[in-house]
Amino acid sequence: MSAAVVADNLCFSYDGNPILKNVSVEIPAGDYWAIIGPNGGGKTTFLRLLLGFLQPDSGTLSVFGQTPQKAQQRIGYVPQIFHFDRAFPICVQEIVLQGRLNRLSWFGRYSDEDKQKAAEALELVGLSHLAHRPFSDLSGGQAQRVIIARALAQGPELLLLDEPTASVDTKAEEQIWELIRKLKGKMTILLVSHDLKRVVNEVEKVLCLQKTARVLERDELCGHFALGVWHP
Amino acid sequence: MSFLEAVFSHNLILFALLGSFLASIVSGTVGSYVVVKRISFLAGSISHSVLGGIGVALWLQKRHDVEWMTPLIGALIAAIISAILIGFIRVKFREREDSVIGALWTVGMALGVLFISATPGFNVELTNFLIGNLLWVTPEDLWILVSLNVLALLLIIPLHKKLLALCFDEEQAKLQGVAVQPLYLLLLVLIAISVVLLTQVVGVLLVLTMLTIPAAIGNLFTRRLSIMMALAMLLSCFFSFSGMWIAYDFDLPPGATIALITGLAYGILLILKKPLLKLTQVTSQS
Repeated sequence: MSAAVVADNLCFSYDGNPILKNVSVEIPAGDYWAIIGPNGGGKTTFLRLLLGFLQPDSGTLSVFGQTPQKAQQRIGYVPQIFHFDRAFPICVQEIVLQGRLNRLSWFGRYSDEDKQKAAEALELVGLSHLAHRPFSDLSGGQAQRVIIARALAQGPELLLLDEPTASVDTKAEEQIWELIRKLKGKMTILLVSHDLKRVVNEVEKVLCLQKTARVLERDELCGHFALGVWHP
Repeated sequence: MSFLEAVFSHNLILFALLGSFLASIVSGTVGSYVVVKRISFLAGSISHSVLGGIGVALWLQKRHDVEWMTPLIGALIAAIISAILIGFIRVKFREREDSVIGALWTVGMALGVLFISATPGFNVELTNFLIGNLLWVTPEDLWILVSLNVLALLLIIPLHKKLLALCFDEEQAKLQGVAVQPLYLLLLVLIAISVVLLTQVVGVLLVLTMLTIPAAIGNLFTRRLSIMMALAMLLSCFFSFSGMWIAYDFDLPPGATIALITGLAYGILLILKKPLLKLTQVTSQS
């Protein structure tokens, strides 16, 4: 199996403060991993490096054998929902179609295929009935699923989710986990989470980031957290 | 003579009205982007620094006989320069963005005041540029305004979906291969063009009202950006028309009257929004 993500001695610092130090990890294509770690441990930084929004100070990072910038359009990104202006005048379908923005014709029209893909993505997250509803009408969980649909409309090979269940209620949380379970195996999935207990039951492996990286298998992780203490 | 009779018998008033309608088209669209992206402050900075361009233009024209350098051209050049500067500031001084933009705001105005004062006999004009004087719109100006409108719309129509993505989620746009920095710069230039169009109507000090309030009112009643734009255009035309009418009847400065009506309407609608929405729901159900 080829690798989706390869980091080799990756270092990144912000204003002289090291955030990531000598991170080396290889994530096989098609895997479902979680990224955990304390606040400031470098989880978000690692995602932003993968997205090509930041440049490593040293070391290399590749996504499907390409630089992150070149691989950008193979990556679906689901930011946290609080990142959005919920009062923005836009409807659900318009948001999901933004996952097809790179295919937009020069005169600014989406093709029938784009609309089809957007409809399928919305179907997959179970929100077809809300296609024409304004974004501001949605609950937190629905909004988060719309953003996931936008990433899926793109047909990503790597899906990055930044705490997708952080600001939703329990029922919505369950729906989101179930949705991600449906996607498992169809693409490489990397998910940042604080919900350690949950993550242990869902993912295949866990990448612990606290400046340095350490990869844990599920059973190892259970042993670690059985102690109830975070120690990388 | 009533206002409507005056419109059809005096070219001056007709041109003024046409000028304000032309300004409404672009400011309705661009103003909507400004409101949803929450960059009114940037637009304010561009609109006030325009005075610098007007000042320099007047000084060149009257003192140094540079005939082609009309205040409108000066305003256009200044607006585009400040748009580009703001785009540059955003890339280079992100942490201090608000302070630097605030500085641009006042420096532009100060330049304008200095150059206008160095142009003897034109201090009356300073007031006109500050609060607007539509009756100064010449047929040549109208042609420039028409071209600016056409140019802006030619840019906006094919780029609307990308601009929408830029306003809603810049990072997603970037991931999707949109050249975010140039597109943002283009948005700033479009703001600059709207500012220049509106300066003719309400003057430098009141531009921000006309750029943002019709769009903000539209935002109260719709949750689709495209509808918001259409509403903003119509409202802007309506406010210009009614403002000019009232100004004509009561002999008031038109720019200030238009801005005041716009502001008042916003205040009233903000308060009445909930009862009004309820009412429309009741009527659509019955």
